[in-house]
Amino acid sequence: MKHLTPANARAKAMDEALEAEAAAPAEGSAEEVLAMNALVGCTTSFDPGWEIDAFGGVANLCQPMEADLYGCADPCWWPAQVPDTMTTYPNWTENAPASEADWRQLQSVFPRLKG
Amino acid sequence: MKTLTALLAPALLAAAAPALARDYLIAPTRPDRLVIVDTEEMAVDKVITIDMAAPLPSLPVVSADGRRAFVIVAQNEEIVEIDLESGEEVQRLILGTEQERVKALFGMDLSPDGTTLAVYESPVGLFKNHFEVRPTRLSLYDAATGALKARAEAPRQVTVIAYSKDGSRIYGMGREMHVFDGATGQKVDELPIHGWGKGEYVQPDVLDAWSQFEVAGMVTTPFYTFREGGDPADPEAYRTGLLTLDLETGEMVMKDAEATDIFYFSTAADPEKRRIFGVYNQLASFDLETRAPIKRVNLPHSYYSVNVSSDGSTVYIGGTLGNIGVYDAETLEKKGQIDLPDGYSMSLASVRLFTRDE
Repeated sequence: MKHLTPANARAKAMDEALEAEAAAPAEGSAEEVLAMNALVGCTTSFDPGWEIDAFGGVANLCQPMEADLYGCADPCWWPAQVPDTMTTYPNWTENAPASEADWRQLQSVFPRLKG
Repeated sequence: MKTLTALLAPALLAAAAPALARDYLIAPTRPDRLVIVDTEEMAVDKVITIDMAAPLPSLPVVSADGRRAFVIVAQNEEIVEIDLESGEEVQRLILGTEQERVKALFGMDLSPDGTTLAVYESPVGLFKNHFEVRPTRLSLYDAATGALKARAEAPRQVTVIAYSKDGSRIYGMGREMHVFDGATGQKVDELPIHGWGKGEYVQPDVLDAWSQFEVAGMVTTPFYTFREGGDPADPEAYRTGLLTLDLETGEMVMKDAEATDIFYFSTAADPEKRRIFGVYNQLASFDLETRAPIKRVNLPHSYYSVNVSSDGSTVYIGGTLGNIGVYDAETLEKKGQIDLPDGYSMSLASVRLFTRDE
């Protein structure tokens, strides 16, 4: 493996696992590195519903949208529309505890770089 | 002797007088607060700050004497017991380990005798570069020590967890109403929710993450369905129903209530079991027996959670933003509003009512 350089997080994990395994074969840690892992985020569902309600209008959406903002973030309900504060971005709302007044403090989030 | 009698008299009088029970609301807010509201004064009584609770203390479960609460905190990975009078943390349960992340999303309840805390848990194994979703489970903890007493696998997608009044059963509301043994946590029965109304209605849809069954001793939830073979263009074919589960008798009833022209996020029954109140962008009242709608009023903003005073006269609505609306249970007229400190959001937290002798 010395002529190969890991190019992504998974390859790096494999490299580390092989090194660990070489040092302590009994641990077998290379087996823990999976080749395929398709799940992204904390849910497999993409649930539309922020833009339009079940009746095709907007009257049955949350009023105002700030009322529902954290209800969608905390349980990882709509991870495509808002960051999930349950696992990945727990500090997203720390400067905005009153959603209606503080929403301007909420910032965009970006995936953390791995590897 | 005379002096002694005079000294003792007030104490004797106090001992003879019946204790005055008073209603309080407990409203968790971001990022780490438990706000206790005195409903008689319609004012904030106390603000308790919980260490390491962010981003939101969510579900509170109050002991029968109204003096302690268990609260899900810290990204739903820990449970703290809080002394509601001193504000001190009594104990903390950390649900996961380094190898396993465990979330308690919505479902938790204390046994009627106060000895056992039932928690619905979602565990995930943490590996080098992958996660392993593990079976959801019902864990029973010793409420005094936090020690695990029993654990059993439970169906997925359970939200509300509620003990029967005698403590022998634990109900878990999900795709069906799952019934678990109160001592072992093992599933022993199931009451149909998705299986309800076959032939007449399509599979009902239930979404309810709020525990607010303590006043009536009754779990209630709205559900949504469609008349089998109905015309999709007919607004009357879309139906809103109401489910009730009596925690005393174990009887569960689901009934069609009205055409679905609006939504309710959650409902609560009054202590006399005469009315059901539903809340979201409107507040509505229904006859509990017939499920017929009685009245509906528009609200100033969305609310998720609804609860009822112990005398049944007042409805409290909360969740979402940073205020609790107070409404007359009969007329649904607004009686007032309790603004929580700094307007901090309650978000998804359940607003619960407890009664304490003064």
